[in-house]
Amino acid sequence: MIIAKNIYKSFGKVSVLNGISCEIKKGEKVVIIGPSGSGKSTFLRCMNLLETPTNGEIWFDDKLINEVDPYLHDDLIEKSNTCKKLIQSNIDTESALLKIKEEKLLKKYEGKEFRLAVKEFTKANHIDINFARRKVGMVFQHFNLFNNLTVLQNLTLAPVQLKIKTKEQAEEKAMALLKRIGLEEKANAYPSTLSGGQKQRIAIIRALAMEPDVMLFDEPTSALDPEMVGEVLELMKDLANEGMTMVVVTHEMGFAKEVASRILFMDGGVIKEENSPKEFFSNPKDLRLKEFLSKVL
Amino acid sequence: MSIWELFVKSFVEDGGYKEVLRGLAVTLVTAICALIIGIILGTIVAFTQIAKGKGPILRFFKGFFKVYVSIFRGTPIAVQLLFIYFVIFPAIGLGLMKAEIVGLIIFGLNSGAYVSEIMRGGILSVDKGQSEAGRALGLNNTQTMLKIVVPQAVKNVIPTIGNEFISLLKETSVLSFIGVMDLTKAFREIGSANYEYTIPYLILAISYLVLVFIASGIVKLIERRMRASDNR
Repeated sequence: MIIAKNIYKSFGKVSVLNGISCEIKKGEKVVIIGPSGSGKSTFLRCMNLLETPTNGEIWFDDKLINEVDPYLHDDLIEKSNTCKKLIQSNIDTESALLKIKEEKLLKKYEGKEFRLAVKEFTKANHIDINFARRKVGMVFQHFNLFNNLTVLQNLTLAPVQLKIKTKEQAEEKAMALLKRIGLEEKANAYPSTLSGGQKQRIAIIRALAMEPDVMLFDEPTSALDPEMVGEVLELMKDLANEGMTMVVVTHEMGFAKEVASRILFMDGGVIKEENSPKEFFSNPKDLRLKEFLSKVL
Repeated sequence: MSIWELFVKSFVEDGGYKEVLRGLAVTLVTAICALIIGIILGTIVAFTQIAKGKGPILRFFKGFFKVYVSIFRGTPIAVQLLFIYFVIFPAIGLGLMKAEIVGLIIFGLNSGAYVSEIMRGGILSVDKGQSEAGRALGLNNTQTMLKIVVPQAVKNVIPTIGNEFISLLKETSVLSFIGVMDLTKAFREIGSANYEYTIPYLILAISYLVLVFIASGIVKLIERRMRASDNR
């Protein structure tokens, strides 16, 4: 469903992600854990392009959502002037490709043929990010409910603006979702009057109102009072049981153990270990992970 | 005759009050219209400055507006009036335009420069998470701006825009530099009729004080209305 290919991300001179590849399959619940500053939130935000990767590609439902990364496509590299020159100087194609990829030799302008090939590839595979985002729900650490709108308006804004539903349909759906979390009476309240737990549960159903195929959670319980963490995790577990595809960045080890179908451990902008929850907790291999687990468990 | 009697004579008997009323109208109309021009212009400038992108047209406008803002914020309004009315407008064939209109345009341009900064600050003061949440739902940049960011920004800038109006109200007193009969000039005429300025200038000062008092009352009222939606 989501495929990340060799993602690099740097902010100025600070590199946060250093080559991450991973695939999220339909129905999977992938939990990403790791120390702060390990790049897990940045990686999650790359999946719906809230952060644009510096290098690498993100594919959603077999469609490319960011720019083509030519280093991932041998057939594109072969069309570049640099590659042609290397081959002319008696290097075989294979080692020329290898050299270009390793030393990042592609320049801004690589000839007409290369440019056309990139254009054609883009045309065949790329979709507009705004379309992809309709199907990728996102839940933030700080809820980010729209402060100028009521709860009901928060839930209906996107479906109505994007002409996916009529106002009536959207409101009906919104009320059904509110009923599900037991907050119907808050429909006309403004976010400023809600508790953290209520805000986050409404943020979750705001994403659900778009009927997404996958949900991304960026530390959804980190900004909550301890006594409100439970209600949010319950809702997330319900979603998981219904078969929603989920990617969750969290520090809640209990949740990871119980819900995850796969856990990724990130550190220093790379995936250090990737395993089923059982293996992950009982038999960690990476040294840094062992150290991390010994501190948090 | 006492100074009071002198004042009454020129204010009532010689018809000075008519000038004062006209001057009051000019002052108010100039301040209000300048603010409206300023808000429209300032909003356009602010959005251009915030817009992302590297297109040549956008870059041109960004540069152009930057120069505009620094000129109008970097020179006194009196100098702007003198220079534009006596030098620039005649040079481009608009020398015969009425001074009242020219004054209004210049105050509008001046206000636009300040309002653009206010608007820019207002938009930037809205938490980045708000627009991220909008974009993450699939709304495009324009939809996110119009439905989420701008309504919150407007609420944030109302008090500052109110301040801008109050300073405009007071600054219009330099309109007489280009011969416009505003409130200040009207009272000065009354005083110079018999070279007795004490009472006219005292009342002039009180008039501005009352105007500003009323204006800030209105701003407070609007502000409170806006805040009401916060805690419903």
